[in-house]
Amino acid sequence: MMRWLCCLLLFAGLMLQTPSWAEEPLVVVPDTGEVKITTDFAGTEVKAVGSMRGPADLVIKLVGPQQAAILSRETKLGPFWVEGETMKMEGAPSLLFLYATAPIASILPPAEQQKYGLILEGVPVRVAPQLKARAADDWRKAFFRLKERQGYYHEDDTAIRVFGNRLFIADMQLPGDLQTGTYTVETLVVKSGKVVGRNVAQFSVRLSGIERWVWNAAHDHSWLFGGLFTLLAMLLGLALNAIPYSRTR
Amino acid sequence: MEFFLPIAHMDVNIVLILFYGAVVGFLSGLVGVGGGFLITPLLIFTGIPPIVAVSSGSAQMAGTAAGASFLHWRHGNIDFKMGFILLIGSWLGGVFGVYLAKVLLRAGQFGNVVVFLYVVLLGFIGVSMLIESLQAVFRPGTPATPEAHAPAASGSLLRTWIARLPWQTSYPVSGVRMSALGPLLLGAAVGVMTSLMGVGGGFIMVPVMIYVLKMPTKVVVGTSLFQLLFTTAAVSVMQAGINHSVDPFLALILIFGSVLGTKLGARLGARLPAEKLRLILALVVVAVAAKMVVTLLIPPAHIHSMSVEVR
Repeated sequence: MMRWLCCLLLFAGLMLQTPSWAEEPLVVVPDTGEVKITTDFAGTEVKAVGSMRGPADLVIKLVGPQQAAILSRETKLGPFWVEGETMKMEGAPSLLFLYATAPIASILPPAEQQKYGLILEGVPVRVAPQLKARAADDWRKAFFRLKERQGYYHEDDTAIRVFGNRLFIADMQLPGDLQTGTYTVETLVVKSGKVVGRNVAQFSVRLSGIERWVWNAAHDHSWLFGGLFTLLAMLLGLALNAIPYSRTR
Repeated sequence: MEFFLPIAHMDVNIVLILFYGAVVGFLSGLVGVGGGFLITPLLIFTGIPPIVAVSSGSAQMAGTAAGASFLHWRHGNIDFKMGFILLIGSWLGGVFGVYLAKVLLRAGQFGNVVVFLYVVLLGFIGVSMLIESLQAVFRPGTPATPEAHAPAASGSLLRTWIARLPWQTSYPVSGVRMSALGPLLLGAAVGVMTSLMGVGGGFIMVPVMIYVLKMPTKVVVGTSLFQLLFTTAAVSVMQAGINHSVDPFLALILIFGSVLGTKLGARLGARLPAEKLRLILALVVVAVAAKMVVTLLIPPAHIHSMSVEVR
């Protein structure tokens, strides 16, 4: 309810603000500056609300913070399938969502897509240890395939709703295992195969409440945390078994 | 009902995790195994990063083993003398195992060695136990003597060898007499497995104590849990300290589930005859081994797999 109220207020504000072509033809604001991960967090929706001077097509690129991934390949050893080579993939964003009012390939030529990083498989990613170009390419392809299959990289041309060629809302659905850090929302206005307006906004994702406290304790005082928690686990196991036992005696 | 795990950094279904805990607790109460060989694959299958699954599983096993050990202690089922010697052995073996793991990791063979160790050990122990238990259950007239079948025959060879070792001592609770080196070496072997395979080692310890050391099944269960309690507790502290990978919420949900399962298991275990308890353990071990063999033989649906680093 509160979120919709915020959206309405943003909408009203944007209606009063008339973007001029000469200066900034585009205004975009995420409906939240911060996503808090609490105990009941199972993914969330962030809305990007904006105004433009249409009619035009829109592309919104949501980029998550960088996250290293370990990629491994199964190989055959006699009759068995065993784990073979393992590579570390670095430098790629944890999440990359491309939203558009039409399929991106149909509104922008490849050169423009390349320029603005609108090709899912065009994200620069380093393969470690270093390999020959062809071998590294195979690993990159596998990386993008897995990212798309797991839903962390995807393109969607249904998530932006445009009202009267001027106002728009993009519904960005974020998964439950969201990487903490800064997320960038880059919005592009597209006319006649060219990007004519650009806006960059950000929001952050962070652990909150007891989740944050536990994470900090587990990382800042790891031995103390491990010792105390293991003791607590043992006492809890003991108490849960001992109390009913003493009652039955 | 979803719950966000701060260390695994993902949301999980509480009911599902409670169920996993209950299954493992049931086995723990019934036959004295910690269930590490079962809980780790189940958690990984749910999407929890392997290192968090192994580490939080250790904390859960420490909690579950504490409760189950208490129940067995009240029933006089723990041979403390045997338990302490096993524990010293498992800690020594554990330290050696950590170094062995380092060498294997450097050679890039750690994962494969672990999988093959699982298959060979679980397969050999499970099939041996299954044959013996089936004979005992379905032919109660014929005494299930160790000499009657292969696994126990190899057990008798080991027993003869242990009988020749120095430091012979008696274990009154178990009603056996043997060299202290026997349980010390058994504990050391289990300690190596704990470091390499992330398991408490109950599935190896229990059959060896029954078949080789000839201890009564109920004392074996209690003593195994006692040893398991301190081994898994040490692993849990080390994993939290070094790898920051113990997720307290995951471990707590598993403990609550396992308490319920442990009670049911212990209650059923008290009513069932020893040979049926062994048959149940044998079936579980064989099923897990068979599943691993199938996984190794069937071509994977996707040749690549990906995991993210736990920070």
